[in-house]
Amino acid sequence: MKRRTALALATAVGVALTGGLAAAEEYKVGVLLPFSGVYAGLGAHIENGFKLGLEHFGADLGDNTITTIRADTEANPGSTLAKSKKMVLQDKADVLVGIVSSAVLGGMRDFIHNSGTPLVVANAGNNDMTGVKCSPNIIRVSFSNAQINRPMGTWLAKQGKKKVYLMAPDYAAGHQMMEAFRKTFTEAGGEIIGEAYPPLQGTKDYGPYLTAAKATNPDAIYVFFAGGAAITFVKQYHGFGIGKDIPLYGAGFLTSAAYVHVQGEAADGTVASLHYVPAIDTPENKRFQEGYQAAYEGKLGSEFAVQGYDAARLIIEAIKASGGDKAAFKAALSKVSFSGPRGPLRIDPATNNVVQNIYVFKNEFKDGKIVQTVLDTATDVQDAPNGCAM
Amino acid sequence: MLADSSFWIVQILNSLQLSMLLFLLSVGLTVIFGLMNFVNLAHGSLYALGALVGFTIARATQSMWAAYLLAPVIVTAIGAVLYMLLIDRLRSAGPMKQVLVTFGLIFVLLDVQKYVWGTDQLGVTSGVPFSGSIEILGQIYPAYRLFIIAVGVAVFALLYLLLEHTRLGAEVRAGVDDPETASCLGVNVERTFFVVFLIGCALAGLAGVVAMPEFSAEAGMGVAILVPTLVVVVVGGLGSLRGALAGSLLIGTTLTFGTVFVPQFAGIIMYALLVAVLLVRPAGLFPARG
Amino acid sequence: MAHVLQFRHALALVALAALLIFWTQAGYFGMEILAEIAVFAILAMSLDLAAGYAGLVSLGHAALFGFGAYMFALFTVLWGWPASLAVVLATLATGAIALIVGAVVTRVQGVFFIVITLAIGEMGYEFFFKNRALGGDDGLSGISRLDLSAIGVDLNDPGIFALFLIVVAAITYLLLVRLLASPYGAVLTGLHDNPGRMRALGLPVRTYQTSIFAFSGALAGFAGTLSAQHTQFITPNLLHWTTSGEVLVMVILGGLGTLVGPVIGAVVLTLLRHELSNVTDYWGFWLGFFLILIVLGGKNGIVGWLAAGWNALRGARPDDDQAADEPAEGEEASDAAR
Repeated sequence: MKRRTALALATAVGVALTGGLAAAEEYKVGVLLPFSGVYAGLGAHIENGFKLGLEHFGADLGDNTITTIRADTEANPGSTLAKSKKMVLQDKADVLVGIVSSAVLGGMRDFIHNSGTPLVVANAGNNDMTGVKCSPNIIRVSFSNAQINRPMGTWLAKQGKKKVYLMAPDYAAGHQMMEAFRKTFTEAGGEIIGEAYPPLQGTKDYGPYLTAAKATNPDAIYVFFAGGAAITFVKQYHGFGIGKDIPLYGAGFLTSAAYVHVQGEAADGTVASLHYVPAIDTPENKRFQEGYQAAYEGKLGSEFAVQGYDAARLIIEAIKASGGDKAAFKAALSKVSFSGPRGPLRIDPATNNVVQNIYVFKNEFKDGKIVQTVLDTATDVQDAPNGCAM
Repeated sequence: MLADSSFWIVQILNSLQLSMLLFLLSVGLTVIFGLMNFVNLAHGSLYALGALVGFTIARATQSMWAAYLLAPVIVTAIGAVLYMLLIDRLRSAGPMKQVLVTFGLIFVLLDVQKYVWGTDQLGVTSGVPFSGSIEILGQIYPAYRLFIIAVGVAVFALLYLLLEHTRLGAEVRAGVDDPETASCLGVNVERTFFVVFLIGCALAGLAGVVAMPEFSAEAGMGVAILVPTLVVVVVGGLGSLRGALAGSLLIGTTLTFGTVFVPQFAGIIMYALLVAVLLVRPAGLFPARG
Repeated sequence: MAHVLQFRHALALVALAALLIFWTQAGYFGMEILAEIAVFAILAMSLDLAAGYAGLVSLGHAALFGFGAYMFALFTVLWGWPASLAVVLATLATGAIALIVGAVVTRVQGVFFIVITLAIGEMGYEFFFKNRALGGDDGLSGISRLDLSAIGVDLNDPGIFALFLIVVAAITYLLLVRLLASPYGAVLTGLHDNPGRMRALGLPVRTYQTSIFAFSGALAGFAGTLSAQHTQFITPNLLHWTTSGEVLVMVILGGLGTLVGPVIGAVVLTLLRHELSNVTDYWGFWLGFFLILIVLGGKNGIVGWLAAGWNALRGARPDDDQAADEPAEGEEASDAAR
């Protein structure tokens, strides 16, 4: 009740400032996230962040309102396509938001491209969706697989690491991440002396791979793993004592805020790069983390939650910028820029991918828990068009 | 690296560790299979419950040992409830209905896990025994993996004694061999099945809680482990302790060395092995019956 | 026996009528659901042929379904062949693969059969998962539908396409009914009821089993080509064993070995999934719950229940009920034991 009063008040102020000229429009937002299946955890983080974003920035809507409808994508491209058709054609949604799996995004791509309805991608990182398969209707506020790993190749070479061993799960995202690292690392004079791609599913026993990787005697091992696989991998890396001789680097999902506390001491010393770290010291991030932890049992807001939070803000900013004009709203989505929890971000008009900072951060085990600190920041990281023609 | 003996020793330990985990998972399933032709697809869900319940106990008591002891007990209690509500009625229903009901049970238990424990990954980082590493021939090796191997060996030894040297064991063997004759001879096959089912639940729960500190726990982990477990059971042959051990060792070793020598086939090697074994021995390596 | 068949055909008519009525009312989403139901109905009928009639309970059937879809996409998207030719060739190619697989897997029985088909299916899944030329795990897009504009039918219209699939499913049902009424069908039923006697009669049991596995596989592949045209995008998930599990659930939920049962199973499971997931994120719980309830009822799926209800209404003798409830429980139990 209190919040509603606050909203009404803010709205009143907004109306007073703009002289009450803005037309009051209702914007229907279709939320498409996995609430069941293997990605249910990520779906929950993104939805939590999205709700918080609506709460924090709802006042910017002025007289306009947002209503949300939601549907479970599981990890199923077929049924998600059906559900997105329902949202666009039947429910007349003004914008869709969400999508965790790149395969699910691939299944929707042609439909979204041909429809007039924009989709704000809040996770799926497939390079091609803002590359050769880009579309004016697909705006990605999360990351691309290459974007996260490219800065790390240059950075690691600069640290004097010359011979690196690569490891990632054997699926499209794993290969895209490793390729992006390989490119900048070898351009900076580094050498890849070996690589391994364990099955994505299966027994998650990395012991054999680790033993083999260690035998090649690299300066460093660079990996991408996420979720349960990341926890297991980091624990096994530590258990096999490899970290004592060979430091572990990776795409930052390896030690995500979502589960680094489960890795505990095993994550000590790991250095990784990501578009968001909770340690970022800005008022925007402080507001986000405080709000998130107050709303969700004291849990740390992860990068996935930030993606949902920024997706909500992106939509609100576009509504604000287009002044309640629905036709202008779509175009406004790809022109938005603001400073959020992860720092300044904007949408690249050439690809519709987000342009953002990538943070190199270190995990240290102090007083019984992991502390993450930012070592370096690659600012304004922007993907090349990679064959994208809008 | 291939000439390095310590490399081989570590890889052999790796394969033993994986084999023993698979053994813990599959032995309960195989005896249930063998004794009553009962196909329990929800066995993996009990493994997940073991890990999740173990997590809750470890967090509440700050002791993994309490979790090792209590989690299997609680999973067994859950198993007993399932037995009375569902499994008992399915005994004579035929494998199709058993497959379907336990398939339904996977969905039910998965959502119960999501509801109770949420969808985040859970794990304990303090109070885990053997959490350090030891040195073997100059190679650092996680002590916890040796612990998993030891648990597997101990469980095998206990089950062997139980089967070969107790009345229950004799009843189980008789029941697997020829249930009709056994019941004519005064063996209470139903009661035997109930006890065996509970032992299977306890072992699945134990596997879950033992694996939890190494692999973390999350709702849904039981679904992923189900297929490897089924493969082990079938390769080993239904209903025999020896088969479960042989199947686990074969699959664990093949997976480990397969990833070393033919990493590009790591995803299918287990399935190819299963097909090969069944073509040579259509009832698995060591079937309990004929 | 005759009135049992009549009852099933009546049910099939009712199901068809219900789908057609729904079609006249359906919006965009309804058309998608109808198309999905029709594709799964064909797939479930194909599995019923193997599992329900020949006793070959496969947990790798979705792999053949997915294989058909990928072959269709390969022929049309990558090689540029016309869609009509691709449907035929993809169906035949899947049949050929199923023939080879069938010749191998029919050597084992019962639970071993379930697991060996699962294993072979998973190998197929891994193959397409890793095959970058066919899109790998990100999937393959840009699949177009059959061009029937020559006869004035535009399959790109969602409503027309859904109707087209319903008609195809109905025709499939009729053809399978004919097949099962033939001498070949009689052998099949005999195979399921009493393989030992068939063997004693000197029938080449495995040859029959292999042939029906191949035919069932070809039909699954055909369903795959339709699925690829429906979503116009395919991923390896089509081949995954959990998809096989879902189809098996449709078959058993509806009524194993009844042909119309799998169709009803496809309708119920697809609707239940979509409707429940609108209401709760824990839809899996309720889905599993209903599944368990129906199976524990002791009848042969929904068709068994309907038959029992119908008989009760007519005040029929209990042995009629038994006849409608085939296959009887004892026979199923013997599958795994043998």
